[in-house]
Amino acid sequence: MAENTSNSGLLTVRLVTPDRVLLDSTAEAVELPSMSGYLEALYGHAPLLAELGAGEVRLHGGASGDQKFFVAWGFVEVLPERVTILAETAMHPEEIKVDEAREELAKAERLWNEAGDDGQKYDEANAITRQAEEMIASAEGKSH
Amino acid sequence: MANVLDLRRRIRSVKNTRQITKAMKMVSAARLRRAQERALLARPYAQMISSVLESLVRRTDIYNGDSGSLMHPLLVEREEKNVLVVVIAGDKGFAGAFNSNITKAAQSFINDRSALGQNIDIEPVGRKARDLVAKKYPAAVYEKKEEHYDNDLATHFEVIRHRAAPIEVTGDHASLLVKVDIDAVSEMAHSIIERYTRAEIDAVYLVYNEFKSVISQRVVVEKLLPIRKLGSHEITVAEEMSEEQKEAAAHAAATSGVSIMEPEESAIESEAKNFGTADVDYIFDQPPSRIFRHLLPKYVTTQIFHALLESVASEHAARMTAMDAATNNAGDMIDAYTLQMNRVRQAAITKEIIEIVSGAAAL
Repeated sequence: MAENTSNSGLLTVRLVTPDRVLLDSTAEAVELPSMSGYLEALYGHAPLLAELGAGEVRLHGGASGDQKFFVAWGFVEVLPERVTILAETAMHPEEIKVDEAREELAKAERLWNEAGDDGQKYDEANAITRQAEEMIASAEGKSH
Repeated sequence: MANVLDLRRRIRSVKNTRQITKAMKMVSAARLRRAQERALLARPYAQMISSVLESLVRRTDIYNGDSGSLMHPLLVEREEKNVLVVVIAGDKGFAGAFNSNITKAAQSFINDRSALGQNIDIEPVGRKARDLVAKKYPAAVYEKKEEHYDNDLATHFEVIRHRAAPIEVTGDHASLLVKVDIDAVSEMAHSIIERYTRAEIDAVYLVYNEFKSVISQRVVVEKLLPIRKLGSHEITVAEEMSEEQKEAAAHAAATSGVSIMEPEESAIESEAKNFGTADVDYIFDQPPSRIFRHLLPKYVTTQIFHALLESVASEHAARMTAMDAATNNAGDMIDAYTLQMNRVRQAAITKEIIEIVSGAAAL
């Protein structure tokens, strides 16, 4: 499918949140923060369905140039010519409030300490920690 | 009979009222447009969640291979002994029969179910819903039990429900409607899911006002849990608008510049139906069963979110219609009073002339 030369070779990228469609654009390559680590999709990528973790979606090339978005929790579908990202939270890195993220971090620590023997509570605390850490990293431009 | 001065005063007062109701109508129309827009923008996400779920159901076994049990607690069906009903009404009045229609539907549902001997929990959303049930039914009591093991190294928490009455009120979401925020909705959904998982409740129903367009709305009772068929709204009771109500709503919409047509499906929305359903073998970055497990709570959240957005749009539409009717009634009243005032004035003049004429004749 990648050999389809009649197409421009650009991926259609959509970022959808519960509130609205945040981004509808094109890109040569997209980096995605999957649950099990970053992955990059180019035009012609094999169909893939992944769970989204917390981190940055980065678009390279395409109609609107390079772009970054902070996203957390959701799903992503990669098709040869299209990438659709469903994210529970999504924003521009500039919109991140670092103070609030630090508060979240403190809250997560409290939750962790109070979790007792409930495995689910630990998972929740971990999720909050991960999102807050990635948010701070993204806001400071240190996201990997 | 009232004199001219009284009538003039009364007309002035009605005119003031008319101005207020007219302003309220225009404000509601503007809010309605915004709410409609919001509901529309939220559609692709909801659609995508349910299409990817459907596609996963086809690809994974929802039954556990070894034991034959269901993979997810939200799919488990139990006999309905304890039922949770989420009642979504408005925050404010002046919306015609909007709030009373919903509370009526909720009340008849509650009566039916308690006649069957079921225990009912009510979760009110919106101040009007809360005001109604808080007076009538007691609040549910929870106890958080803490146990310590191994010299306090490990702690076990357990939430225990003490049911005192067959009908109780759980949760309070009075301010949820001020700004329908996905985080707050998600919190509420998780609390419901938790209760369902620990078998405190066996079924969850939503009572809300469904909104398709200004002239097409209905109060529905929708089954939220257990999830039986994905992507479809399982509606058990529905009350449609009457022709009269539709006409009033259409008039209100026409005079305030709101479209009565159902908004058309956008390109993204129709594409959203195909999210995750392409007829290819996907590479799954995580096992499908795991993705499935994590999707179900999100599905429940979007269902509630969707209901809230529709209910908010309906509330504004109902207020717009009610205020339009009030404005019209005020106009009619002004006409009637003006006619009466003119008659009284004419009568006074006639009387004076008769007095003068008869006085002249007597000379």
